[in-house]
Amino acid sequence: MSFGLLAPLVLGLGALVALPVMAHLARQTPQDRVPFGAMLLLERVVKRLRRRRRVKDPLLLLLRALGVLAVVLGVSGPHLSYTGGVPEYGTSGRVVLLVDRSLSMSLQDSGATLLQRAREEAVGVVRGLPEGVSVGLVAYDDDALRLTAALTTDHSRVIAGIEALQPTSGASNLRGALIEARRLLAGEPGEVLLFSDEAGPKMVGEATAEISRLVQLGSAILPWTRTPAAPRNVAVASATYGDGEEGGQVTVRVVNFGPDATEVACEVTLPDGASIPIFVDLPPEGAAEERITIPSEALGGVGEVHCDDPDLQRDDTRYFHLPRVGASRVLVVDGDPGDTPIRSEVYFLERALAPWGGLRSGVTIDVTTPGGLTELDPDRHRIVFLANVADPRPFGPLLTDFVRRGGNLVVSGGDNVTAARYNAALSGILPAALRKPRGVAAPGEDGVPMTLPDVSPAMLRPFRRGGRAAFTKIRSHTLLTFEPYRDVEGEIETLLRYDNGMPALVQRRIGQGRVMVWTSTFDLGWGNLPLQSVFMPLVQRIVSYLGGEAGQSAARFEGTVGQSVVVPLPDRAIEPTVIGPDGAPARSRIDGARLLFTPDRAGAYELQLPSAPSMAFVAVNTDPEESDVRRYDSVAAVERALSPDLLTQRMDLSRLALALGLLLLVGQALWAIRRGT
Amino acid sequence: MPPTATWDAVVLARVRHLHLRARVLTAELMQGEHRSRRVGQAVEFADYQAYLPGMDLRGLDWRVWGRTDRYVVKRFETETELPATVVLDLSGDLGTGTAGTRDLPDLEGSKAGYALVLAATLLYFLHRHGEPVGLEIVAGQGATHPSLPPRGGRNHLQLLFLQLASVRPGGRADLLPALSRVGARSRRRSWVAVLSDGMEEPSNWLPALGAFARRGTDLRFFHLFDRREWKLDIGGPSLFFSPEGGTELAVDPQGAASAFFEVVREYVDEVRAGVVRFGGRYLPVPTDLPMERVIRSAVLDQPLQVELP
Repeated sequence: MSFGLLAPLVLGLGALVALPVMAHLARQTPQDRVPFGAMLLLERVVKRLRRRRRVKDPLLLLLRALGVLAVVLGVSGPHLSYTGGVPEYGTSGRVVLLVDRSLSMSLQDSGATLLQRAREEAVGVVRGLPEGVSVGLVAYDDDALRLTAALTTDHSRVIAGIEALQPTSGASNLRGALIEARRLLAGEPGEVLLFSDEAGPKMVGEATAEISRLVQLGSAILPWTRTPAAPRNVAVASATYGDGEEGGQVTVRVVNFGPDATEVACEVTLPDGASIPIFVDLPPEGAAEERITIPSEALGGVGEVHCDDPDLQRDDTRYFHLPRVGASRVLVVDGDPGDTPIRSEVYFLERALAPWGGLRSGVTIDVTTPGGLTELDPDRHRIVFLANVADPRPFGPLLTDFVRRGGNLVVSGGDNVTAARYNAALSGILPAALRKPRGVAAPGEDGVPMTLPDVSPAMLRPFRRGGRAAFTKIRSHTLLTFEPYRDVEGEIETLLRYDNGMPALVQRRIGQGRVMVWTSTFDLGWGNLPLQSVFMPLVQRIVSYLGGEAGQSAARFEGTVGQSVVVPLPDRAIEPTVIGPDGAPARSRIDGARLLFTPDRAGAYELQLPSAPSMAFVAVNTDPEESDVRRYDSVAAVERALSPDLLTQRMDLSRLALALGLLLLVGQALWAIRRGT
Repeated sequence: MPPTATWDAVVLARVRHLHLRARVLTAELMQGEHRSRRVGQAVEFADYQAYLPGMDLRGLDWRVWGRTDRYVVKRFETETELPATVVLDLSGDLGTGTAGTRDLPDLEGSKAGYALVLAATLLYFLHRHGEPVGLEIVAGQGATHPSLPPRGGRNHLQLLFLQLASVRPGGRADLLPALSRVGARSRRRSWVAVLSDGMEEPSNWLPALGAFARRGTDLRFFHLFDRREWKLDIGGPSLFFSPEGGTELAVDPQGAASAFFEVVREYVDEVRAGVVRFGGRYLPVPTDLPMERVIRSAVLDQPLQVELP
């Protein structure tokens, strides 16, 4: 704010202020001398009046001096220049309205959302424009959308466009909106009226270059910023599933953007509908993390975390992926029941997978003979163990199809295993072609030990906390061998090896399914694995990995509202349908081996194929930065830096000063008359 | 002793004026009055008193002794004369005023003119009632201000009138020593009328009234004032000065009127309280007040209703 004068030289008249001072000082002494017999009383009166005048006289002098000064000031043309508010608009005849309809504009403020207020004000602006002024309208969130193809003088159409604007959950792309405004102005100067909260750490910063371009064109951006004095919002910033101390857990991060500490009630809802209520204490302008342990059995899919927040509700729900937890139904195909328990894989596998009968491990075991494989139900069984099965050829296509549709197959060695039959039956899904079993130790020896494993692969990651060294106690004297092969990232991976370099556990990813080959036996036939402490954890991990995290039939992707989601397709021939959170198909397109779609709301999206399980899940959430309703920068500040006079307003103070001066002079005169001086 | 060695024709004219004025006023005052203020011995029975050795045996009531065998003495209402003294303040301030008596040409309208006529009338009135009268003049010019204690006789009254005719307002009153001196000289249980404008700081001179109280005098304080002066109804802004000297003050009467009113009220209350505290009677006397009312109130104890400015 600054003060200026149109005619500063007139201030020289300010010397007139000396007049009342001189008049005040040169108060005339009466000439008439009057004898008076009650001087005692008069002296008392004068003493009393003198006390009063000590206060009143300076005030009177001040009033007179101020009166003269105000009149002189009024004549000199004073004016006040200040920034803020909205300068005059419409003078250029070309006006573009930018209306922010992003997520943060849904913030509640005194009974209405910011967007509702922005709409009202924008409509008022258009109605107030003189006829003949060309107007353009741009609505923006992630995308800037021109609602008028060009500038138009049809104001009613623009008003209808403004009134039809609805809030979205997208982020604020001010830069894109300014680009559209520049296009509408077609390089000519004009006024861009911006109706936005200008909230968030990046919105204005990203648009600085575009603001500069508009200013250089001679245009002015007039911000009608409507932000509450102390904006409040609580948002769920993230929710992720991971391993915890007592199993799987979801870590929820809730952020408070308001100035006061608060406690919010939240609810975590799992894909199977189970809900877990929590309360989160939030510091002012801070965040808090809560960890929720997932039950030992839970369906995989997309869960959600919802926190109650009356200020801005669109960001109160966060969607997250949850793998299948527990409840893996395993079909063990027993190829050699064995005459004693130590010669039976099923005996050891049952005890390793379901030591308490499956009640607490979440694993249910079905044991069958090779002939029973025809009962394989892909919807029920997640994993099939081929334990020393002699001839899988009759079931080769069935198992191959099972794996391609997301099933998981574990093949183990044994005396019955014949490489040629397996290669014939499962050549398309084995990590590599098998060779015949090979003895790696002399009779009577313990066999070759397993090497210390690399626990970085996801399958072995739980062993980082302990048990890694126990792998070295596993020994085998006979092993299945492969034709030469090489690990391929994302497809073939050798997870465990023996000291002699021969693979112990190899996995291959086929579509959504996986095949694992354990080159030894799960009984004591070829090695000592069942007697080692690592046996039960390893087998359980194989099942939880294949049946849960890795074995999830569907792929999982993350997405953000308003931004394109890309899903790679395993086969160019398939054309999945994207089902939105409301159960209706969402618009999508296939681009080569990719499916692309742009979600317009947060929630769980599914990619579905006809008569098949869900192919992929996409958890779509709002942009966490859009939840930050605080204001960091302002467009006006950027403009002022570029062109200091652009948003300056001038207020003429001449009449005010003259009126004040006259008022003071009249007031002092009345006062002086009343008190007789 | 006469105040002047040679008779001044002007003074004699004043004496005549005063005498005439006093006689007229006194005649008005005594119309319809049948009982003398001076009651004398054995005029009116008051009460009985038990006889004590040393008492005048002529007062014994023998009839009572005959009936009751007790000696009692009759007492009467007035058994002595009532010496009256008029104390007249003729300091310079009394020379001002606008509404006083018109009977004294050279003091026309002044408080001094009113005071002189009032004093003369009081003296004459009391003299006519047979009381010895005296005069004490405080300040003033043209006279030597001898102390004239109360006496009877026409010659003494003429002397008092001559004194009043000779004196003119002037100088400073200096009321504290003057009143203290007069009070100390006054006879016990005498009647004293002080005529003054009281224009000195009341806290300075009011204690002097204690001298009268200690002598048991019946004190009347005639507070003389000019109604227009006390209303400050004296034209436009002027330079005011006291005839007694001192600082001149430039005052706009219009602007100061309200404050002056407050000051007058406070001052009157202060003087009244001081007089009453020493057993005196306070009589506010504006110079436009008919003198008969003043004298009736002062001598006959009739109420005096005066509206202050």
